Amino acid sequence: MDKNFQEEITQIIKFQPPLYKQRYQFVKDLVEKYKPKKVADLGCADCSLLWMLKFCHCIEVLAGLDICASVMKEKMHTLSPLPVDYLQPSERSLTVTLHHGSVAHKDPCMLGFDLVTCIELIEHLEESELKKFPEVVFGFMAPSIVVISTPNSEFNPLLPRVMLYRHPDHKFEWSQAQFQSWALETARCYNYSVEFTGVGHPPTGMEKIGFCTQIGVFVRKYPQTGESVQSEKPSEAVYKTVFKAVYPSLKDEKYLQNAVISEVIFAAQIIKHRLLSKRKEYGDDPERKSKFQPSMDCFPDYLGKLVIEKNMEPFVSGNEVYIPLTTIFSFPKVNRLCGTFEKLCKLIAGKVTLSSDGSAVMFNIEHENEDN
Amino acid sequence: MTGRARARGRPPRQAPALPPVGDAPHPQQLQQLQQLQQLQQLQQLHAPPAQAEEPRAHGHLRACETVLPERRPEGFQVSSGLQDMSLRDRGGRRRDFHDLGVNTRQAMVHVQESKTGFSGRMIKLTTNHFRLTSRPQWALYQYHVGYSPEMEARRLRSALLFQHEETIGKTHAFDGSILFLPKKLENKVTELFSRTRNGEDVKITVTLTNELPPTSPTCLQFYNIIFRRLLKMLNLQQIGRNYYNPSDPVSIPNHRLMVWLGFSSSILQYEENIMLCADVSHKVLRGETVLDTMHSLHSQVGEERFRDTCAKELIGLIVLTKYNNRTYRIDDIDWDNNPKGTFRKSDGSEISFVEYYKKQYNIEISDWMQPVLISQMKRKRGGNIQGCVALIPELCSLTGLTDKMRNDFNMMKDLAIHTRLPPEQRQRELGRLLNYIQKDDNVQKELRNWGLSFDYKSVSFTGRVVQGEKIFQSGTMFDYSPQFADWTKETRGVPLIRAVPMDSWLLIFTRRNHDVANTLLQSLFKVSPAMGIHISKPNMIEVDDRTEAYLRVLQQRITPDTNIVFCILSSSRKDKYDAIKKYLCTDCPIPSQCVLARTLSKPQTIMTVATKIALQMNCKMGGELWSVEIPLRQVMIVGIDCYHDTVSGKQSIAGFVASLNQTMTRWFSRCVVQSRGQELVDGIKACLQTALRNWSKWNRCLPSRIFVYRDGVGDGQLNTLVNYEVPQFLDCLKSIGTDYSPRLTVIVVKKRVGARFFAEIGGGLKNPPPGTVVDTVVTRPEWYDFFVVSQMVKNGCVAPTHYNVVYDTSQLKPDHVQRLTYKLCHMYYNWSGIIRVPAPCQYAHKLAFLVGQSIHREPNMMLSDRLYYL
Repeated sequence: MDKNFQEEITQIIKFQPPLYKQRYQFVKDLVEKYKPKKVADLGCADCSLLWMLKFCHCIEVLAGLDICASVMKEKMHTLSPLPVDYLQPSERSLTVTLHHGSVAHKDPCMLGFDLVTCIELIEHLEESELKKFPEVVFGFMAPSIVVISTPNSEFNPLLPRVMLYRHPDHKFEWSQAQFQSWALETARCYNYSVEFTGVGHPPTGMEKIGFCTQIGVFVRKYPQTGESVQSEKPSEAVYKTVFKAVYPSLKDEKYLQNAVISEVIFAAQIIKHRLLSKRKEYGDDPERKSKFQPSMDCFPDYLGKLVIEKNMEPFVSGNEVYIPLTTIFSFPKVNRLCGTFEKLCKLIAGKVTLSSDGSAVMFNIEHENEDN
Repeated sequence: MTGRARARGRPPRQAPALPPVGDAPHPQQLQQLQQLQQLQQLQQLHAPPAQAEEPRAHGHLRACETVLPERRPEGFQVSSGLQDMSLRDRGGRRRDFHDLGVNTRQAMVHVQESKTGFSGRMIKLTTNHFRLTSRPQWALYQYHVGYSPEMEARRLRSALLFQHEETIGKTHAFDGSILFLPKKLENKVTELFSRTRNGEDVKITVTLTNELPPTSPTCLQFYNIIFRRLLKMLNLQQIGRNYYNPSDPVSIPNHRLMVWLGFSSSILQYEENIMLCADVSHKVLRGETVLDTMHSLHSQVGEERFRDTCAKELIGLIVLTKYNNRTYRIDDIDWDNNPKGTFRKSDGSEISFVEYYKKQYNIEISDWMQPVLISQMKRKRGGNIQGCVALIPELCSLTGLTDKMRNDFNMMKDLAIHTRLPPEQRQRELGRLLNYIQKDDNVQKELRNWGLSFDYKSVSFTGRVVQGEKIFQSGTMFDYSPQFADWTKETRGVPLIRAVPMDSWLLIFTRRNHDVANTLLQSLFKVSPAMGIHISKPNMIEVDDRTEAYLRVLQQRITPDTNIVFCILSSSRKDKYDAIKKYLCTDCPIPSQCVLARTLSKPQTIMTVATKIALQMNCKMGGELWSVEIPLRQVMIVGIDCYHDTVSGKQSIAGFVASLNQTMTRWFSRCVVQSRGQELVDGIKACLQTALRNWSKWNRCLPSRIFVYRDGVGDGQLNTLVNYEVPQFLDCLKSIGTDYSPRLTVIVVKKRVGARFFAEIGGGLKNPPPGTVVDTVVTRPEWYDFFVVSQMVKNGCVAPTHYNVVYDTSQLKPDHVQRLTYKLCHMYYNWSGIIRVPAPCQYAHKLAFLVGQSIHREPNMMLSDRLYYL
């Protein structure tokens, strides 16, 4: 290759968006495609990939592993739930855990994952660690999908200022052939299939060089054997947990109950408000306030149906407003949260003031401010 | 009182400081200040990555060159834009919230030895302060870290430095250029070599620049940073300046509110010790998004008033977002924009909000028609470039209370159950925080590594309860029970000092309120004779319930003899009230009384209400109710408070009142209305001049002593006040005449303080009684300051008021200044009891609030000798 030409190329190779973002996007796309529930990122470093993944709705368990605890700790707080996560708990549950340890060691906490990502990890491994790596990831963890990315050394001449390796901590950088033969051998050995791709396109005319970052996507060929497999591999915990965040979720009874109570009372307030404001329109005389008065707004033939459909219609009696639970249950939000009427009753029991027979939410309006 | 919280907002930036009053800052002090500024950057330690840029507001932003994401006042976060700024840019802009480095006491010779009072009986008090202890010979080592070749990015700088953790140690605080270590490195200058990702070799030079003793201001800032780190380690969430525990919220479903319990904390050098002042704080959060709120507003007010109502309700509120850990203030609503609108990212590409949130956070915006909220970024950079952030209502949650909510009695009552903690409970909650700190291994390890620890028992000391004041009314002296701080009963039906007859007055009402007006009138006739107020039959006028109708009546029926105008309003619609007040305070200066019909409609309370109204009207017309004994002669008391209009954000109003007579029963008032960016103090100077003229008219001489009680000074503004405002007062006095040199005392009044005191009574903790004065242990050594608990509260903990005498040539003993201050808390005529602040401050507040909320320009001077603003 003409030396000048190569230099020219060196100057114009600049990836947009930056290569690391492209790698993360690749993982994100993969997650969108396969919808894994449990994802582990090996060599998670400053947790930025994990941070991106926590926004993926399908993921319920996220784990990170790194050999360096301090680099994880520096940014781990970004993985904590936000105030709004507590205010509006999500439907899905999410637990994020960070472990301090080596990919050369087996720890049962890494079992049962759907997707394991090793983004720019293997080139940091010492020879001895790299040897144990396939057994730990493919043999022990055995997730349905493994993604491994690593620099493509053939691309290096095109990168400015790269002397030997792209990072001083890299122990090696492989050519396409080297990576592929390692990957194929590993896949064969642990019964996975592998496909090769990458991010960071080579300049036109130099396609042979391959992607700047080469990626292998491994898919397990055998179905998950479930619990039995795990019990066959008893192993002691060797990783140290440095961070754990359990996100508030409606799957958790505590948050569900809060959400339901809040929605029930809100719905009841709306009905009450409508009822009272209509009543005011029809009878402006405050003296009549305490008298039983039908709500003629939404139910014109109310009196006729009084006996039959008492259960469905809100009414005022003395200083009390009664809003039947069945009406409240028909509010879409309440309905969606509870699913069944029984569940609704169970969740609000003892938390919301009900009528004596438990069929309606009761409000006392004695001290209500008329103008509001 | 609804504007109180808002009135506390930040006054606009003030001009560069003039030379200080007392003495020029010591070079050493200056150096300390610089260090402080540098240290402030340390707050950003352990910054989480700035993973995303802010969507910028459409349109507004086209003009600005740079994205400058907002920085939280005391956050650990740093955003990408700021990282790229040079370090110099970042320094010095942060507020010094604790007014460190403002040493006013040293200029006042008479309080050098002692600033404590002596009168009253002793009382045993505990507080919410906890001693911070460091091991003997403790010092903090400050290093400068240089890079060769120069590295710009802060993150890169730290990454390179911490490749050498074995040399530097695991415990450190680094802001990109200054490194703090708990231990001394072997050499004064240490050279380290690192290599970047790109294989570039970098030489790092770590040079010892300072060995800081535990009490240095830099260290104090540093302690605060470390403490915040600890709170973060405890998984508390930072909202604004405080930290909250999200995992155990109290939900109030009736109002869709959630309350988080949290803590405010500050570590400062107090009289003898460095202490942590920690207090329980509650954050009110709303379980709905801004979009939800907009929907419900829409259903309440309808299309026509929708936008206005939204603006009124939402602007000024603080929101949290779904996707990051920041808070934003809503400054505007862009109705012409929507989530489909685009903004320019920092890399120059255009992206729509919908796309951006999908791509960045995997969030689907469901409502594509909603408007966009605009949040302005406070910080101005060099060339006055201001940026805005655009926010999507659907992705924002509201925090705090709106004025409307504050006015909702039921809501406040329900909230108070959770937020107004009685003393015992408050201390218990505080104990829980300290317990977390004590029990958490990581936190303890961090503290140990820095060589710091806390006393987990709060500080106890003795305070004084000064003698109760006697109330005089028409030559009679009244004793009342001082612990209730109220003499309503004792003075009921007693002649006033000066009762102004109501010979000619208007009573305006709508047809609907005809009966109410008559009931009121009968009640007024019944209650007024005992007080010595003569009330003639009013000119009763029925009007339509429209603003114009009221105004037309005012224009037609007011005569030169009219004493006062009474309006019965049928709803709390503000526009009518504003229009009436505006007309009667400016164009046609007549005192006025507006009352809601609802207030008068309850037969069981009508007598009490009528009594109060009669008293209030009497004050508005220049009457006098009661007095306390003021031993000082020829003294003029001034009160100043500010109101900041946060809604339109255009005006700030300073209310100014000054006493006119010896008994402090008559007050002169003026106010300064200024648009944003204008100086407040120039106007105050003019106020003081007119006040002096009026005082001399009343007393036929000039006052020989002047006391200024200055309220409305925000955190971190003390320096400006001392260096700019006080010299203006002095200037003004000088301008009166060459031979005129009265004694001046300037006292900064602060109601929002973290300190709480509890009286140890009968083995339990109670609120300290009114009249409790604290001037030791928890005051600041560099100030001539004291606390007074003057008011009584029924629920929760009483908040002491902090008084800081920043300038004093009175030569009065501290005890006398304290007593005078307490006396003045008895003189607010709208409350027959003791209030939290000296009456002139409360009057000034009332005036500023009325002008700021309703009148928007300076009221007519004809009214200036009356309390028309009550």
